[in-house]
Amino acid sequence: MRRRAAQLSLAIVAVIVGVLLIGQLRSQAPAIELSGLSAQELSDLIGTLRAGNAQLSDALTDVRQQVSEYERLDVAGQSTLTLTGEDVIRFSAFAGLLAVEGQGIVMDIDGQFQPANVNDLIHELRNAGAEAIAIDDVRITASSVPVRGTGAIAIDGVEIGNPFRVTAIGSPDGLTAALERPGGILSLFEHEIDASWAIIQREHVTVPATQRDLTPQVAEPVE
Amino acid sequence: MTRRPSMRPRRLFRTQWAVSMAAALAVIGFVGAAQWNSSLAREEFVSSAQLALVGQAEQLQRDQEQMLGELEQAEADLQVLQERDSGSQTALALLNERLLAARVAAGAEDMRGPGMVVEIADSLRDIPAGQPQSNYIVLVSDLRNIVTALWASGAEAISISGSLAEGAPSVRLVSTSSIYGSGAAILVNGVALSPPYRIEAIGPDGLRDRFLAHPASIDRVLPKVDAYGLQFASEPRDEVMVRGFVGSTGLRWGAPVEEPD
Repeated sequence: MRRRAAQLSLAIVAVIVGVLLIGQLRSQAPAIELSGLSAQELSDLIGTLRAGNAQLSDALTDVRQQVSEYERLDVAGQSTLTLTGEDVIRFSAFAGLLAVEGQGIVMDIDGQFQPANVNDLIHELRNAGAEAIAIDDVRITASSVPVRGTGAIAIDGVEIGNPFRVTAIGSPDGLTAALERPGGILSLFEHEIDASWAIIQREHVTVPATQRDLTPQVAEPVE
Repeated sequence: MTRRPSMRPRRLFRTQWAVSMAAALAVIGFVGAAQWNSSLAREEFVSSAQLALVGQAEQLQRDQEQMLGELEQAEADLQVLQERDSGSQTALALLNERLLAARVAAGAEDMRGPGMVVEIADSLRDIPAGQPQSNYIVLVSDLRNIVTALWASGAEAISISGSLAEGAPSVRLVSTSSIYGSGAAILVNGVALSPPYRIEAIGPDGLRDRFLAHPASIDRVLPKVDAYGLQFASEPRDEVMVRGFVGSTGLRWGAPVEEPD
């Protein structure tokens, strides 16, 4: 009798341990975090990861070509200052210190916008691969965030209009598709804040440089 | 007298039994505690089709991780080459000074300075019947609000990581950074992060006070923390280190407009 009770106790303990272990493994494995997503969400995620990886692959090719060019000039005993000058321009344009021109879209948009809506729009454009963005004439840098100004939404201390104009450099088709996809951000804006808009794809648009000084006051580069 | 020989095996059996039970209970205690600490809100049914998609997403994440590592190394090699030139050393020094300033403005350099740290994670509360699960987990909008409040409060450099573990990858926010969501998944610069989220920011004195008083914090994030029990903490730091951005800084669809010297 006692032996049977012991076996029963052990069986119960084993079942509890098993259930807890399975639960724990499920909650710890990274795959399960992803599997909490619906098929649609996973498809979106895969699309975003693919697009990001394509950009990374291009960037890797570019930097490796630069390294090869430096090494070639170095071996030939030639100056590499011109190449470094090009890099200064690349980083300056990326930061927003230089204007950028190229293909992209111009969108005029109207609605009952709150700062968070404008912020969402900026993130949507960035996720769709926008390389440079301006709202009205304000270049969007890393730290440019829409906030409630005295009477209107302001970015970097400049009040934007309503309607306002968004200019973005990037794939005209890609940017338009991301903004106008069913259930996408413009569709949400239409329902939530009564937004209306017009997007024009252009071969040539210009995004101005920021008017701000981006030199940090307290942050210092790590040696 | 006759019982003694049979006492030893029974005592031994009892000892083994006690040890086994203690070990089993210890395992239950450990796993139970770990399980309790996990966020149950994210668990859902997994279909085989979803598993195939999860497999693809995981492979893409592994590819991404490998390319980020290779890109970081290639950038480091490039910087070494940029610091030497066979021509004028004065011109080289001036140009490298301009390059450093441009890299700092772009967010490509590791930076340090005074600042603050914010940590936020899903609620541990049981979700009452009929209430939306989304109230109890950290959403894209929460991270965007935190970042907005930090930039608007004077932050000069911000990074986000998706784990509190030492050495967890952190993602630097730059001009092209998106904080983007697909359901409960949050991607920052295209990197999928999972909670707890740690946001590190460098900024001038009083950054934390301004951050906590900013409308994006006080009207949006903190009420959700109070109402639904999101785990949230912030503290000022004398020194914060924010890693440089690793990723594409080139233009595919445009070109810089160079200013005349």
